[in-house]
Amino acid sequence: MLQVENTLFTIVMLIYFAAMILYFTFIAVKRDAIAKIAVCLQGAGLALHTAALVCRGIGAGRLPLTNQYEFATAFAWGLCLVSLIFVVRFKFPVLGAFSAPVTFLVIGYAAMQSKEVRELMPALRSGWLGFHVSTAIIAYGAFGVSFVLSIIFLLRDRMKAQGFLDQHIPNREKLDVISYRSVSLGLLFLTFTIITGAIWAERAWGSYWSWDPKETWSLVTWIVYAIYLHLRIRRGWQGRAAAIFAVAGFVCVMFTYIGVNTFLPGVHSYA
Amino acid sequence: MNTIKKIWRFISSMGFAIALLVVLAAACSVGSLVTQGQSYAWYAQRYSERTAALILALGLDDAFHSGWFIAITAFLCLNLLLCNVVRLPQLIRRTRAAGRPEGALRLSGDVRAEGIANPQALFERLRMPKPAACAAEDGSAALFASRNRAGLWGAWVCHLGILLLILGFGLGQMTQRQYTAYGVPGDLRPIGDTGYVVSIDDFNVGLREDDTVEQYTADITVYDMNADGAPSQSATISVNNPATLFGMKFYQNSTGWAAKVTVLKDGEPLQEAVVCAGDYLAVADKPELVVYLNAFYPDYVLVPGVGPSTATGQLNNPAYLYSVYFQGQLLGMNALMQDEELTIDEYTVTFSEPQSYTLIQIKADRFTWLALIGGLVTLLGLVLAFYVQPERAWAIQGPDGLWTVCAQSRKGGPIFKDRFDRAVSALNDRPNP
Repeated sequence: MLQVENTLFTIVMLIYFAAMILYFTFIAVKRDAIAKIAVCLQGAGLALHTAALVCRGIGAGRLPLTNQYEFATAFAWGLCLVSLIFVVRFKFPVLGAFSAPVTFLVIGYAAMQSKEVRELMPALRSGWLGFHVSTAIIAYGAFGVSFVLSIIFLLRDRMKAQGFLDQHIPNREKLDVISYRSVSLGLLFLTFTIITGAIWAERAWGSYWSWDPKETWSLVTWIVYAIYLHLRIRRGWQGRAAAIFAVAGFVCVMFTYIGVNTFLPGVHSYA
Repeated sequence: MNTIKKIWRFISSMGFAIALLVVLAAACSVGSLVTQGQSYAWYAQRYSERTAALILALGLDDAFHSGWFIAITAFLCLNLLLCNVVRLPQLIRRTRAAGRPEGALRLSGDVRAEGIANPQALFERLRMPKPAACAAEDGSAALFASRNRAGLWGAWVCHLGILLLILGFGLGQMTQRQYTAYGVPGDLRPIGDTGYVVSIDDFNVGLREDDTVEQYTADITVYDMNADGAPSQSATISVNNPATLFGMKFYQNSTGWAAKVTVLKDGEPLQEAVVCAGDYLAVADKPELVVYLNAFYPDYVLVPGVGPSTATGQLNNPAYLYSVYFQGQLLGMNALMQDEELTIDEYTVTFSEPQSYTLIQIKADRFTWLALIGGLVTLLGLVLAFYVQPERAWAIQGPDGLWTVCAQSRKGGPIFKDRFDRAVSALNDRPNP
């Protein structure tokens, strides 16, 4: 089963790469039909990615969410899922062109990690693992999409009026609302992640909050997005300032995910 | 009076909240980047003497318990509390107003559709409840419906949740009692100064075939030595499965190796005790002579460049790393194999019967439930704020019998407008313009 997962993972990487190229082509040749193919390809990639995760879970005999490789591939899955939902829901294929490279980078990072299946240490053998990590995947995916939307928001002013992109990108007001929707999804799931993590930590380590670097940076991320939400409704700070904070929030997400594991060892060092 | 009002307004303002959040995020970042709980010497070696002095002067060595960090959190609580107090009457008024047609029954609103023959069908498409009949400001027939008024309370509930969370955490930190007890099966350990003792009845390390640990399980009994007859309660604890006994929570925290240390004096048995790795034994008739068990290696190997290590978790080649102190001075340090003896003058020391010991963490925090409720209330607030969008719609009949339908959404913006336009298009059975 793990061999099947390995093959599927490679196919998924190729599909995500092809989808990314198609999105770029859509912008280059300005043909909507290409965007539709790219969206379909991304959907097919997501379906196969789901199958790969299921195979990994069956092969490992547990939820495939316990090490850097498993979390990275699940993160890419979450990013692809949320971006696809937003692309379809808001008829916004340009978003796909910006989110596909991020997805490809994340799955590329996963490919560089060890795929070895290891048995779980006692602290990880808990029913809370599934809740805690799966909510984190959705949160990170939604924050990834909000990052992409904020980049588009910040670039939008520099785009030529009446150009192809100008017509295919929602106006500033709508873009801001879509970004807000994405951040709100992410923040809700990040709150779930922090609460389920705290409940689990209380059972496993005897303390629901111990200022471990991972916990602290999750809180920093939460605070940065809380600032974003307040800025959005504060007169004079809407739009650009809020978008900059959404970008900063995703930098915090990436630091929480990769930076903390690399530079700040703690009780989450296995994650 | 004006000054007090100004201070009140400033402390309860959103600008102050944003400033506090920025400072709090920065404080947390610094606290996580500076290694916590180290000494001046440690920081001086890691950074420089100047930086070490600065770290200690600013309390960055224990950032999350420092006065300035607590002050930031206290100001944030005050801001949240005042914000909620100030907004409460306004919120109640707004919630009441959102459910009443007054003030809405004129041709206004965020979005509007004219010439609608069947407004009820449009209300239905907008997922509004059944509209109530009323009269418009100009006396015309009107319909009104609203939904999701609870969404107005999202931010307020979220603030309340954060306040409860911080309160529960703070009270827990101030009042909680924490103890540890370690030992091997058969040991009886006091739990701090509580008057309770914990007996370690059994301890097992469940290993898989590949030598990795599956679970640590301890059977414990706690005795209340304060009460007559020392009543007891027993439980089995393992990682992720703590037990509550006499109001205290017992966690299987960690484990290590212990060994039986036998001391002979001139060949005659003098002393025997089980010593955990990291602990020591003072010789009975010469307490200034101390044997310290630094570490235990079940399958000892000496790795060049690394030092003593263990090849597997199995007891294939046990070795004991020890050090001997006399009057606080280190006499020597070495590794002793299973059947080897250590001779110090007239004393002979041997290590044997290696076994796992358990480290049990004991905690009593009476406010965990408050923090949990705070977390859940915060979550509820976020759901209300993000996914319960207060909306209202009303229709006014014109002289021609057709209706003008208006609608408002507090948070929907252009997306609500799209939804409204789609609903109108579908109703008119014509493509969306």
